[in-house]
Amino acid sequence: MPDLFAKLSRWASRLALAMSAFGLAAMTVIIGWQVFARYVLNAAPAWSEQAALLLMLWFILFAAAAGVREAFHIRLTLVEDLAAAPVRRIIRLVAHAVVFAFGLAMAVSGAELVLSTWTHVIPALGLPRGVAYIPLSAAGALIAAFALEQAVAELRGKEVKPIWS
Amino acid sequence: MELIVLLLILFGLLALGVSVAFALGAASLALFLWLDIPLVVAFQRMAAGMNVFSLMAIPFFVFAGDLMARSGIALRLVNVAEAAFGRSQGGLGQVDVGASMMFGAVSGSAAASVSALGSTLMPMMREKGYDADYAVNVTVTAAILGILIPPSHNMIIYAAASPISLSVGDLFLAGLVPGLLAGFVLMIAAWLVAKQRGYPRGSFPGWGKFLRALAGAIPGLTTAFIIVFGILLGIFTPTESSAIAVIYTLLIGVLVYRTLGWTRLIEAASGAVKTTAMIMMIIGAAGMFGWLFAVLEGPQILAQTLTSVSDSPVIILLMILIILLVLGAFMDMAPLIIITTPIFLPVVMAVGIDPIHFGVVMLLNLGIGLVTPPVGSVLFLGCAIGGVKPEQAIRTIWPFYLALLAVMVLIAFVPQISLWLPGVMS
Repeated sequence: MPDLFAKLSRWASRLALAMSAFGLAAMTVIIGWQVFARYVLNAAPAWSEQAALLLMLWFILFAAAAGVREAFHIRLTLVEDLAAAPVRRIIRLVAHAVVFAFGLAMAVSGAELVLSTWTHVIPALGLPRGVAYIPLSAAGALIAAFALEQAVAELRGKEVKPIWS
Repeated sequence: MELIVLLLILFGLLALGVSVAFALGAASLALFLWLDIPLVVAFQRMAAGMNVFSLMAIPFFVFAGDLMARSGIALRLVNVAEAAFGRSQGGLGQVDVGASMMFGAVSGSAAASVSALGSTLMPMMREKGYDADYAVNVTVTAAILGILIPPSHNMIIYAAASPISLSVGDLFLAGLVPGLLAGFVLMIAAWLVAKQRGYPRGSFPGWGKFLRALAGAIPGLTTAFIIVFGILLGIFTPTESSAIAVIYTLLIGVLVYRTLGWTRLIEAASGAVKTTAMIMMIIGAAGMFGWLFAVLEGPQILAQTLTSVSDSPVIILLMILIILLVLGAFMDMAPLIIITTPIFLPVVMAVGIDPIHFGVVMLLNLGIGLVTPPVGSVLFLGCAIGGVKPEQAIRTIWPFYLALLAVMVLIAFVPQISLWLPGVMS
């Protein structure tokens, strides 16, 4: 069971990275196209800004969630470094619990936002407004899962090995 | 009262080692629960905080900077700087500052500058007998120059965060003279330290070699001109210019320098995604925090406190600079610009300080924060690349640090240094 979870987590993290990198590339192409269309084709597309924004929200939230597993978010380690080993362990567990709770709240509130805004439409795209909140909910769930993995690893005296370079 | 609890929870979580983004978010959520405001409002603010068109400049400029670092543009800029500045005593220190100014012009990201130039210049300096701590200190402090020398995506973020509309073109122009001045002062500091430590002198390679080096660097340097003039002439918006920077760097790297293949491209995209996610998650959480801070009337209380101490613009500006310097030592630049601009800008404008001038001072100030211990991220990055312990670098960084501080004070109290060029150009 823990092995399956670890495998899933590695897979999810790798997928988040690939999707995010693709999202960034797609965003570049869309905004480049916007400039090109305005000057060369004399017709600025109405959808490009909103589409690029939507992509950015998606890729940032998934990459940020993976960041919990990869432990790349900036934090202060001053107190942790000064603490004795058993205290340090407790401090880390509390920190993981805080992130877990935040992720859970994000998943639930995100889902509520998706449901309550599904009937509104983003005019330039013709998509439901709720589409923008899907990543909020999904990334929230991922954040909670990754924080849980970190906490379990801490309890077992192990470390979650990052796979992003 | 609620405000104090909010700040106490925030600092408590930070001390526990919760990452900055989640500490900001979780502290805000705790207050939302306490004040009985639905949590959906918090996450709506978070999404709204990230969902801003001009913030797209962040992923684009980070991506462009990453591509430049991998495309060999940095090496070509070092060649030009070496031919131009190499012959003075401790010439490689001058080369480092000069190359940083040029790289800063094309990328505008201090972190990209340190990783690109540090990996080329630090080994070069050690080979010629320079100490590793000197190499790190010059590189990290000079990397700050890119924040002032246009184009700089931090100026775009400042304009986006400002409650009144500001011209990005004017901000770019206002940063140029202070950026050059800071570079000049850093060069003097680098020369004085080099002289004291008896570092070797290089030689001028001759005009032929200098011009050849310059010709090699021109395609890279052109990026800066395309962005600055594109924005000043209204050809594209600042946000669009950042996407253009990515596309132009790709073209140069693939077609002209022929250094960018698929592997480097994917590496650059992954690196950019990671950096962007880190910054934008803090900005999102800051959206929650900022909303709550405003609801609790934090900006008004802070403004009252500041103006109750003194109504002199000089004292108020000094107090704000000290607050920003402390915050800058703990937090990344872009989120701090987003959080503090709407709070401080109205205060300084009320005492008659120009918003463009304040932007330049604020950015230099936060830039200095990036190299301030204990958590100056650029300082740490430089130490990692140079293989120097942070304690060691911190012990000898002060001549460079003081040079930057002196320039900041000068720029803060002589607005003409910043405002002269935009005035002339308009």
